[in-house]
Amino acid sequence: MNNHEQPIDLRTAFLKTGSSRALFAANAALAVLYFCVLTFFFKHGNPLLWGLLVAGEVFHLWQVLTFLYTVWDTEHKARFDAALVPAVDVFITVAGEPVSVVEETARAARNMRYAGAFSVHILNDGYVAKKDNWREIESMAARVGVHCITRTVPGGAKAGNINNALKLTVAPLVAIFDADHVPHEDFLEKTVGYFADEKMGFVQTPQFYKNHGANYLAQASWEQQELFFGPICKGKNRHNAATMCGTNMVISREALERVGGMSTESIAEDFVTGLFMHSLGLKSYYVGEVLAEGLATEDFLSYSKQQFRWARGSLDVIFRYNPLLRRGLTFAQRIQYLASASFYLSGTVVFIDLMLPLAFLYTGAVPLEISGMFLAAVFLPYMFLTLYCVQRSSNFTFTFASLALSMSAFTIHLSALWAAMTGKKSAFVITSKEAVSGNFIRLAAPHIAYVAIAAFGILVALNREGFSASLVNNIAWVALNAAVFYPYIKAARGDAHPAAAAEPGSVPLSSLIKPKHKVHAQ
Amino acid sequence: MRSNTVFWQLGGLMALVAALAFFFFFQQSMRLDESQSLWQTGRSAPEILTIVAQDVHVPLYHELLHFWRVFVGDSVEASRLLSLIFYMASIPALYFLGRIAYGRQAGLFAATLLAISPFMNWYGSEIRMYTLFTFLVVLNQYFFIRILKSAEETRERTERAWALYALTALLGIFTHYFFFLTLAGQALFFVLRRGLFPQGSFKKFFGILLVLAVMFAPWVWWVFHQGQANQASPVLQSPTSINFFSAFSQFIFGFQTDHLNTIVLSLWPITVLLGFLALRRTRALQPETLYFMISVFLSMALAFIVSVLIEPVFVSRYLIFTVPSLYLLLGALISAYPPRMASFARYAIIGLMLAGLAIEMFSNSTPVKENYREAAQFLTENAAAQDIVILSAPFTVYPVEYYYRGPAPIATLPNWDRYAFGPLPAYSADAMPQEVTDTTKNYQYAWLLLSYDQGYEEDMRIYFDEHFERVDMREFSPGLALWVYKIRYDTPLAGEDFVPGTTTPEQ
Repeated sequence: MNNHEQPIDLRTAFLKTGSSRALFAANAALAVLYFCVLTFFFKHGNPLLWGLLVAGEVFHLWQVLTFLYTVWDTEHKARFDAALVPAVDVFITVAGEPVSVVEETARAARNMRYAGAFSVHILNDGYVAKKDNWREIESMAARVGVHCITRTVPGGAKAGNINNALKLTVAPLVAIFDADHVPHEDFLEKTVGYFADEKMGFVQTPQFYKNHGANYLAQASWEQQELFFGPICKGKNRHNAATMCGTNMVISREALERVGGMSTESIAEDFVTGLFMHSLGLKSYYVGEVLAEGLATEDFLSYSKQQFRWARGSLDVIFRYNPLLRRGLTFAQRIQYLASASFYLSGTVVFIDLMLPLAFLYTGAVPLEISGMFLAAVFLPYMFLTLYCVQRSSNFTFTFASLALSMSAFTIHLSALWAAMTGKKSAFVITSKEAVSGNFIRLAAPHIAYVAIAAFGILVALNREGFSASLVNNIAWVALNAAVFYPYIKAARGDAHPAAAAEPGSVPLSSLIKPKHKVHAQ
Repeated sequence: MRSNTVFWQLGGLMALVAALAFFFFFQQSMRLDESQSLWQTGRSAPEILTIVAQDVHVPLYHELLHFWRVFVGDSVEASRLLSLIFYMASIPALYFLGRIAYGRQAGLFAATLLAISPFMNWYGSEIRMYTLFTFLVVLNQYFFIRILKSAEETRERTERAWALYALTALLGIFTHYFFFLTLAGQALFFVLRRGLFPQGSFKKFFGILLVLAVMFAPWVWWVFHQGQANQASPVLQSPTSINFFSAFSQFIFGFQTDHLNTIVLSLWPITVLLGFLALRRTRALQPETLYFMISVFLSMALAFIVSVLIEPVFVSRYLIFTVPSLYLLLGALISAYPPRMASFARYAIIGLMLAGLAIEMFSNSTPVKENYREAAQFLTENAAAQDIVILSAPFTVYPVEYYYRGPAPIATLPNWDRYAFGPLPAYSADAMPQEVTDTTKNYQYAWLLLSYDQGYEEDMRIYFDEHFERVDMREFSPGLALWVYKIRYDTPLAGEDFVPGTTTPEQ
């Protein structure tokens, strides 16, 4: 813990990953030890609760071990040839985003340095998406001097838009940016060289949010991303299992054509397309350097929709394209895909962990009949070492806000799980590039209800057994859960105040949008 | 924060500690350990070397106390003053350690916690080596951190830091055996972060450890030369996970009743939340923090493991040297919180510790209170010449004897001649009836004072209850109870009602 704060560059901090293998090995050993002690040595209590607890712990063990396996070595390098300069088609996918946002991206794309030939295409889906500004986008493209492809036949959402453009372009490489992701000048110079490896299918770069300091939600969203785009993505390089993220990437046209273009079957089209490429033995690489900067959601509704889309898409991978059963993947790739996709199952486990104190408060039933201190003796070292390893691997960029948002999103994850299991169709919703103001407290209703139910349960338990040690212990668990929910509830209420310590260079989304208008929640 | 302000703040904290000691802690009854210290240091300086070697300690504090009593005074208060001085000196010492590690605010916060600590205040006026031990560890850690940060120091200042580090380590190992845990922690930190130390440190550090080992070797030889230790100290139980966490609870909230302690321990999931809240960007683990973590947790873990696997040594007071490091860690953890939350957390911890201190001071149920003074005064006033005072465990004879001025003779169960060479006699359920008969046969009443249960207290009480008529019972402090039994009925006043605590049975 450093008292002497020094200004840090957020564009590079999360990429300075570290791997302390002795520490990681100790963490893995402690995780296994904790699981074994909990499962095999502690006296069982209520069979149902015990079963749920163990199921949750199996998942936690899986998460810890796969995380450590991923971040064990984050410095794997791929072959790079700076002299390689094939022609590149640069796609900017647009579906109703503000013109000013798209224009900035288009200008930056046009101004990229590159020794080879490249042409910029705005893939304008505004018409098929029934957005008002599709003509303005065309005018803007002409003004900026880039090509505009306006789709007239709908289908396939963003993936369909890209596939349509593929038919109309010819360059061997395709760079793709979302409308708000502004590429740096050197984007192509630092990515194309990796295609020196003939089997290279795609090269991915981080999704950095330049408005990360605009408010609490934007900051927390970015902090959630840092762990993924830092050690996790860098660690996947070792296993040739980089995650395709749909923007800020370069793809081999040939590779894309071999998998039938961007997948239109899933709302996580990028993730699935990457999976298909790896199944064909194609390679991937994640460049650990910010080469484009985009916008995070600043409002709670957009954040929730984005999380749902990511969760639903990832869970589709488990239910529809299960990597364990898919041919062509290596063992490591199977594990990596399953680890990434299964992250969104954590909502179920959070739900189980929330229910255990309630079960005690209302019925007195407990999953384990042991001294609380014995549990603490095995749990606390495991817990704190795991947190430290996460911090260490991510160059100390993992924060409470990120943790709170991830855990509190369990309701979204559960909805996505239900949708994935039942095969319910979910629409591809473009993440809003405009701040939607309003009170979305209804989205945090389950969290508020939990606190209320727990508070009443405390009275029930107090009446049943008095002020016992077990009651105090369960109150402490409830307090922990409530504290974790607090930032989420606050954000849902619309208290997305400017972040306390906005980083230099952080720009509020609203200042990037002209004209400044707000879309009010229904 | 200006130096002048800090000076007055530290002065205020030291004055607070002194006031608490003079007006409260000095007024308490002497406890068992203190009476042993006085008994041991009442011997000549060479004799002390022998007697301490037979005990479980090292001799520096005892020799110091011996001469202190000669030159300053022989009363309990005068002896306690020596401990208080080291405690008070630890406060500015910890401030300087905190300042060099984290900055002035952290140093002052840790010093504040040390001053209001219920645990430290308890031992701050106890006639034992614990505050000297704490003081030396803080100084030693200060010089260790100075060496760690000596890259920008002059050569002369660095050399001085090395010399003072070695000196404090030397004094430390002759103050308490657990000082070696501090050195073990430093060695581990050195190995893990060797690159942070100036060039040539490796040779110097391990050279000092070697010199310390050589200088300590004669004492080791002396202890073994004494052969079988006297073992006049309480038998320690093998610790459990509850003991482990209770030690932390005691370090922060002091000595509380079992019920309150259970409540505090049951709140352990809150520590997870405290850890979560400290997850903030760029809060990388400082080397100093790693060092203090090693200092606390390695020491605690080693003591616990040794206690479980070899011999019980896990006693919170032996681990008192980890308290300053723990307070520094608390400050470092809180400093990771957002400013308003950090401020709230600081006030909250200070408030809770003050509450713990108040409860510890004023509650009659505080488990570590040993009111031998009142018990002995009661015996002095009530036990007659034809009665017998029986003490168990045997070593509780030290504090009782110190205060007791009555006519009834004192015996122990099991019977123990403390002047005879060898360990305490072991308890035997088979031998007890005969021992009781031999001890009581010539007396009219047995005044059985039970404390420091060594595992046979209940057996003994039940035996007396089943074989003699109990006429009185009273508790002077938690775990210190007096049971009065009528032994014989062939005396002139046999059959008369005895009114306990009011009159002495007439002769």
